[in-house]
Amino acid sequence: MTRLQLDLTVPLDRYTLAVRWETRATFLGIFGPSGAGKTTILEAIAGLRRGASGMIRVADRLCLDSAAGVSLPPEERGIGYVPQEGLLFPHRDLLGNVLAGQRRAEDSGRRLDPEKVLRVLELGGLEHRTVETLSGGERQRVALARALCSGPRILLLDEPLAGLDLPLRRRILPFLLRVREEFALPTILVSHDPTEVRILSDEILVLAEGRSVACGPPERIFSDPRVFPMARDEGFENALRGQVTDEQDGMTRVALSSECHVHLRGEGLAPDRTVLVGVRAEDLILAIAPPRGLSAQNVLPGVIREVAEPPGSAGVDSGVPVMVELAGSGQVVLASITPRSRRELGLRPGLEVHVVFKAQACRVLAAL
Amino acid sequence: MSPGPLLPLLLSLKVAAGATAIILPPGVALGWLLARRAVRGRSVLETLTALPLILPPTAIGYLLLRLLSRDGLLGERTLGFDPGLLLTWKAAAAASAIMALPLVARTARLAFERVDPRLEALARTLGLGPWSAFLGVTLPLARPGLLAAAILGFGRALGEFGATVIVAGNIPGRTQTLALAIFSDMQIGHDREAMVLVGITTALAFAAIWCVEALLRPGRRSSR
Repeated sequence: MTRLQLDLTVPLDRYTLAVRWETRATFLGIFGPSGAGKTTILEAIAGLRRGASGMIRVADRLCLDSAAGVSLPPEERGIGYVPQEGLLFPHRDLLGNVLAGQRRAEDSGRRLDPEKVLRVLELGGLEHRTVETLSGGERQRVALARALCSGPRILLLDEPLAGLDLPLRRRILPFLLRVREEFALPTILVSHDPTEVRILSDEILVLAEGRSVACGPPERIFSDPRVFPMARDEGFENALRGQVTDEQDGMTRVALSSECHVHLRGEGLAPDRTVLVGVRAEDLILAIAPPRGLSAQNVLPGVIREVAEPPGSAGVDSGVPVMVELAGSGQVVLASITPRSRRELGLRPGLEVHVVFKAQACRVLAAL
Repeated sequence: MSPGPLLPLLLSLKVAAGATAIILPPGVALGWLLARRAVRGRSVLETLTALPLILPPTAIGYLLLRLLSRDGLLGERTLGFDPGLLLTWKAAAAASAIMALPLVARTARLAFERVDPRLEALARTLGLGPWSAFLGVTLPLARPGLLAAAILGFGRALGEFGATVIVAGNIPGRTQTLALAIFSDMQIGHDREAMVLVGITTALAFAAIWCVEALLRPGRRSSR
């Protein structure tokens, strides 16, 4: 089933947003720098953008078809919108906010048990707190709970982690992953943070200046030479999923597979905990022979899957992405390598390499 | 012989309450329209709304008198019956209502402008229709400001003189409000009685403005 069909035109101040996208994926991500038009797309889908024209179909519902004169009002689109600012109702307590869309949930037969939603988002016991006494992270979760409890066909998340500091992001990210697993609700996530989009999406649309640049699955999209520089500028991190095995000498060891382990500074995490470890593409070193006598704690075997062609006019310092599949786990990482290194080492698909990085270069993005 | 301060006071409260009841619904609607809609002829509407602030109250009173007189648009000849408003407290209330419109509409407009319109838009995405979203989100959030608009309108109506005297006269016990009684006492040299009435009026005005300031204080919970 087609989840989303977009053929959208919205005139904006600086440019006209024009996007076509048709996808069957359940968890969709839109990545692009600030001002690319990401929020505009969500607002158009929600029915909050005057001037949007074209066609929007969400699941089996035609929300907008300018040619046929169809434009459903927001309340008939079945959207669960979580705007960046949260926009909680200040005159209602937490529960009053969460239940604001209760009627549609009941009428539509898509009702989620609010108690369960509050439990999953760890908001139980706060039901009667007023909005102004909630912390930033709690507000984000209340906005998410409110959308979930309104019986939506699709969830629209606008920068759910923006504006939160790092410890808070690490706390909220697992909630988003948990919502994804528990409720399996089709979702469109918008973010300028490539790592976030990558972790949470099955298919990603990359947007710049109101145009789609590329579209594809998360493990391939960022190695696209048109996308990679944008992602790197926005702080792209590889996200490696693994289990904590032990902690020694203040170092945590995370197993990605039986052959691949990542060591990072101790985080005091319990063994067997699933974690996402982040490491930047420009912090990865590729070695074509097993390296010896290094201070770097992480040397992971793998095979090159893809080497991007360097863009013609690039300076020496601008890296090209090299995609390496790590042994045993099937997980891929992107390393940013200068065109000269690429040439001198003869990097090409199929070549066995070792991916080297310092323990200090990586961090836990989320503990699940 | 003046009838004492009680009768004019009660009559003033009755007239002001009537005026508030008349002007609050259209004033709030006008405030909402100016705050939220890009209507055609908006600046004309804004100017018309503000006009009673500038026009001499006697001009408004005279227009209203013509309107309500036997041959007027709302007079006996057009309606087919005598509405019997002239020279009653009801005419005083109608005159005061018109004089209160600018304050009510402006304060209501501010009240709506202080509510983030995106909150109502968000309520729509949760499945609420336009009315439910307005009644459930915008109206409760604008309530302090709308209450302030009502109090200001009431206060303005208490002080109305010029338009009232033209359509309602100055009949002790029937249309003689505080403002008119002060004038009468002064003319016949009852300075002590006039001062008592001035004192009462000042106290009422003080209380009204005190409430309005408290309601509109920026620290009050708002949507932003």
